[in-house]
Amino acid sequence: MSEINDAIILQGISKVFPSRHGPPIVALEDINLTVKEGEFLCIVGPSGCGKSTLLRILAGLEQPTTGEAIVTIKEEGKPVNSMVFQEQSLFPWYTVRENIAYGLTMRGISPQECQRITDHYLKITGLGKFARAYPHQLSGGMKQRASVARAFANDPSILLLDEPFGSLDEQTRVLLQQELLKIWEGTQKTTMFITHSIDEALGLGDRVLVMTARPGRVKEVLDINLPRPRDLTIIRSQPSFLDLFHTIWFSLREEVLKARNEEMG
Amino acid sequence: MRTEGKIISFFSPLLLLVLWELLARVGVVDIRLFSCPSRIMKTFVPVLLSGELLYHSWVSVRRILLGFAAGAIPGMLLGLSMGLVPLVRAALEPMVAATFPIPKLAIMPLILLVFGLGESSKIFTIAIGVFYLVLINTMAGVLSIDPIYLDVAKNYGASRWNFYRTVALPGALPMIFAGFKLGMGTALLLIVAAELTAAWAGVGYWIWRAYDMFDIERMFTALVMMSVLGYLLSYLLDFIERQVIPWKTPPAQ
Ligand SMILES: Nc1ncnc2c1ncn2[C@@H]1O[C@H](COP(=O)(O)OP(=O)(O)OP(=O)(O)O)[C@@H](O)[C@H]1O
Ligand SMILES: [Mg+2]
Repeated sequence: MSEINDAIILQGISKVFPSRHGPPIVALEDINLTVKEGEFLCIVGPSGCGKSTLLRILAGLEQPTTGEAIVTIKEEGKPVNSMVFQEQSLFPWYTVRENIAYGLTMRGISPQECQRITDHYLKITGLGKFARAYPHQLSGGMKQRASVARAFANDPSILLLDEPFGSLDEQTRVLLQQELLKIWEGTQKTTMFITHSIDEALGLGDRVLVMTARPGRVKEVLDINLPRPRDLTIIRSQPSFLDLFHTIWFSLREEVLKARNEEMG
Repeated sequence: MRTEGKIISFFSPLLLLVLWELLARVGVVDIRLFSCPSRIMKTFVPVLLSGELLYHSWVSVRRILLGFAAGAIPGMLLGLSMGLVPLVRAALEPMVAATFPIPKLAIMPLILLVFGLGESSKIFTIAIGVFYLVLINTMAGVLSIDPIYLDVAKNYGASRWNFYRTVALPGALPMIFAGFKLGMGTALLLIVAAELTAAWAGVGYWIWRAYDMFDIERMFTALVMMSVLGYLLSYLLDFIERQVIPWKTPPAQ
C-alpha cells in the first residue's frame, strides 16, 4: 500500500513576519506535514492563521523563517507548481485568453499547442465568449474562473489553490468543484486546497488539515474515507460525511473563537 | 448639457479673439506690443502659403522628435530597471535626485561646448529634458504595480526578460505615457530656448529673429504655429496611447 511516493515534505516550518508596530507576527509555527503524490489535501483554519503563507512558501514566493519545504515530485516537462491566488491576480493588461495562456507562453510552448489547451480551459470554465475581453470587463466570479483556468492550463505537478471558489455563487461553485474533481480524478495531481467551507473540503479532499489560530500549527489531519469518484450532491447524505463535518466543525469553532478572543485583546 | 458644453468650448476662444480685436481697435490694448488678430492673420497667411513658416516648423519638429526619442527611450529602459531591480535603484537614485533639479537651460552653454553648434546640441537639450521626466515616471509606474503580479510572474516561471516584457512594461505604461506627455511639454519649451543661440532655422529661431526686428506680427505667427504643433503632438501621443493601452479604454466597437 505504501508504494505511493511523497510529493511534499514540510519539516518544522515556521514563519515570522517583522512588524513595524509591536512585536513580530508569528504566522506559522512548527508545521510538519507530508503530502503524498496524487493526494488532494484541503486546509481549513481561522482567518489569519497562516494558510496563504504556507502555500506561498510552497510556491517559493516566501522563505520560511525556520524549517524546510521539500518538494520531491519531479516530472519531466512539467512546472513544479502553479498557484491560484486568493486575491484578484489576472493581469489587467492581458485578455482572458492571454492570461490563461500565461504559464504556457512563459514555458515556450508552441502557439498551436497553447491555443489548443487554452481553448479547452476556456470552454470548461465557460469563458469562451470572453476570450478577448480584459479582466476589468469580467464579473468577480468570471475572474476567479479565469485564474483557475490559468493554473490548470499550466498542467503543473502540484496545484496550489487558495480559496479559488471563494466569491462564487453556489451554482457556479458546485459546477467548478465538479469540474475540479473531474480533472483531478483524471490526472491525480497533487493538490493543496485552502477553503473556509467544510462542505467543500469534505467533498473534494482525501485529507483535511485543520490549523490552529495564529500562530498557525497543525491541529489535526483527518482522513476522508468517502468513495471516489464522488458525486457532490449525493455525498452529503452519507453518514460518514456528517460525522466528519461535525468533528471538523467543532474543531474549527474552537480555533475561530480563540482567534476572536485574541483580536479582542 | 454635453452639446451645450461643446458650443461654449467652441465660442469662448472666438469671443476672446473678438474682444482682443475690439480692445486693440479702441486703443486699450497696445498694438505695438500685443498686435491684434486681424494683423496677425495678415502676416500669417503669406508666410504660411510661401512655405517659409512650414519649413522652420519642420526643422523644429524634427529636432523635437529626435530629441524626444533620444531622451524617452533610455529614460524608459533605465526607469524600468530602476523600478524592477532594487540594486539598480539604490545605485542610480542619488544621481538622478541630484541632477534632476538642475534647470536644463542652465547646462545649455555646456551642451554647446560639448556638442558644438550643429543639430546635435539642440537634440541633446531636448533629450535631456525628456529623459528625466520619462525616467522618473516610468520608475514610479513600475513601483506602483501591485506586487501580486510579480508573484504570478514568478510562480509561472517568467524569465528575467519576461518580467520586463509581461509585467513591468505593461504595468507601467499608463505612467510612462504620463511621462511622455510631460516630456513633450518640456520639449516644446526647450526647443525655443535651444534655438535661441547658434541656430539658423526653426520656430525658436524665427521668434528670436522677429524679436530682433521688432516684428510683433511675425512673432505671433510663430506662437500660433507652436500652439498648433503642441496640439498635434499631444494628439499624436493620445492616439498612440489608445493603441498601446487597449485595456484602459475598451476597444472601440
Ligand atoms: N507580507 C507580510 N508581512 C507581514 N505580515 C504578514 C504578511 N503576510 C501575512 N502576514 C500576516 O501573517 C498572518 C497570516 O496571514 P495569511 O494571509 O497566511 O492568513 P490566512 O490564513 O490565509 O487568512 P485568510 O483566511 O483570511 O486568507 C496574518 O496575521 C498576516 O497579518
Ligand atoms: Mg489567505
